[in-house]
Amino acid sequence: MDKENRRLFIKRGAFILAVIAGGVALTSLLRQLFPRSIGQKKRIKVGMTNSYPVDTFSYIEEQKIFIYRDHEGVRAVTAVCTHLGCILEINDEGFNCPCHGSCYNKRGDVLSGPAPRALTWFQVSKAPDGQLMIDLTRKVKPEYKFLTA
Amino acid sequence: MVNTKNGSDIQAEKGVEQKRLNRIKKITQNFFLHIHSTRIHPENLKPTYTFGLGIILGFLFLILIITGVVLMMYYTPSVERAYQSVKDIVYLVPGGRLIRNIHRWASHGMVFILFLHLARVFYTGGYLNSRRLNWIIGVSMMVITLFLSFSGYLLPWDQLAYWAVTIGSNIAASARELTDLIGITNTLDIGGFMKRLLIGDETVGQPALSRFFTLHVIFLPLTLLILSGVHFWRIRKDGGLSRPEISENARDDRPEKEERIYTWPVVMWIELAILISISAILLITAFVVDAPLLEKANPAFADNPAKSPWYFLGIQELVSYSAFTGGLLIPLLFLIFLISIPYIDKENKYIGLWFSGKEGLRIAIFSLVISLSVTLAQLFVIVRYGWLRDWFPNISQSLVMVLNPATLSMLCYILWSMWIRKRTGSTRMASIALFSAALVGLVLFTAMGIWFRGPNWEFFWSRASWPVI
Repeated sequence: MDKENRRLFIKRGAFILAVIAGGVALTSLLRQLFPRSIGQKKRIKVGMTNSYPVDTFSYIEEQKIFIYRDHEGVRAVTAVCTHLGCILEINDEGFNCPCHGSCYNKRGDVLSGPAPRALTWFQVSKAPDGQLMIDLTRKVKPEYKFLTA
Repeated sequence: MVNTKNGSDIQAEKGVEQKRLNRIKKITQNFFLHIHSTRIHPENLKPTYTFGLGIILGFLFLILIITGVVLMMYYTPSVERAYQSVKDIVYLVPGGRLIRNIHRWASHGMVFILFLHLARVFYTGGYLNSRRLNWIIGVSMMVITLFLSFSGYLLPWDQLAYWAVTIGSNIAASARELTDLIGITNTLDIGGFMKRLLIGDETVGQPALSRFFTLHVIFLPLTLLILSGVHFWRIRKDGGLSRPEISENARDDRPEKEERIYTWPVVMWIELAILISISAILLITAFVVDAPLLEKANPAFADNPAKSPWYFLGIQELVSYSAFTGGLLIPLLFLIFLISIPYIDKENKYIGLWFSGKEGLRIAIFSLVISLSVTLAQLFVIVRYGWLRDWFPNISQSLVMVLNPATLSMLCYILWSMWIRKRTGSTRMASIALFSAALVGLVLFTAMGIWFRGPNWEFFWSRASWPVI
């Protein structure tokens, strides 16, 4: 191997190594910005059935969900607007968002405004201690009802 | 050769020469002043040419750094302590309220002046030729300034802060609307990625506050400072501020046009006057008007209406049509348009002339009228009769995203500027048409958001007619 070729080889090798090192450093730096999420509860207890008034939506502040109870059972729906994440308000027709005026009916379907999706309903069950339990990972149809009667 | 000058003449000439040298030295021998050239074109000092907007921005930034450092002495970036520490600044720290007010109003001023500066540079053709690079640097500085304001908004941790940033982070996440449409959200969740990058979690909390604090106090100011340096340096490299070019013939006729004056002390006096004026204005404003501080952030309830700072209310009006289109797509297109202006328009005529002359002014005025009528008409329709979803309840989300007052206005502006391009054959005139129309549109949507939207983002003629909730 003559001198020129050797120099070129070393130059290129050094360049490629530098690019790889830089790439690894940058990737690990970027990875730092995405922590593993901790403490996000998947299933939550929301108290006894009897603590909820009948035929109306009750707001659970901690989890940002609405619980609807009637004489047959209990349903749970998110209280977060699918548009930009504001907390919905309850009205006669269903829900409305104070931020940009999206309206939903009582099934959570979009009636008007910029909301891109219907509201999500969650599965309700009963914990061993008798409390209602909401599984935030299980999405169900709006008609789904956990029968308590 | 006969010497026609006598001794005293030579002496006098030497004295004048010495004086000039001293004036030059005042600038070149001082680190802080040497960003100036030693001499300057009188054209650039005409108040009606630059209005001093760039230097005002520089001074506002300086004031923001100084007041910001003072605020940092007392501020605690923790979810539990932040709100109380801001209250302490307002009520316990001597002069704290004034410092905070100055900081807030200076930042608002900076955003406002920034748009004026952008318009000034555009309308006088300050992006042409080699100034292209500096135009793009300026646009980046605009983005950073806006992000600085946005990040500063979270720090007090009041209701305004919390919900403005919740909305902002969800606008970043609204790229999901697009990926949902294509059906690739599960494999490539760009929206989620951007949201996590911004706030480090699913909802605004301590990670978001820490991130925004770090960005606000060190990363963004430092970046802006460095870019400011480059911005000023480029002005020098591009041969000073843009100004009308004088042809060879004209130079012979009017030699005084090309004569430059010494920076010391004239420009120094002007800059000092500007600094004193804006300090005075800020002091008076800060003394009279308090920066708002609402109730402590409550993640369980949003204020109704939840309005972001005024300069984002145009975008908030747009996202009330569609989050993705109004919050991401259109701002992005506007930014791309700004950056690409010097690549679309390479005509070197009329640099340094407002609106490139009478024709440009006429086109700008026409654009204003067209933009006003087109956008106002659509705003009238949406307020009076509602929009697609009110007429066809089961309409698909993609149509809601594609057809709304924001996109239709934008389409009209683009068609209008293409027509101007065809009519005049000039890319400069087409740029003026599009820029003016877009700017008027931005002002209209912003005005709508500031003054005419109330609870549930419904239309109201005035705040007085808002219902009591």
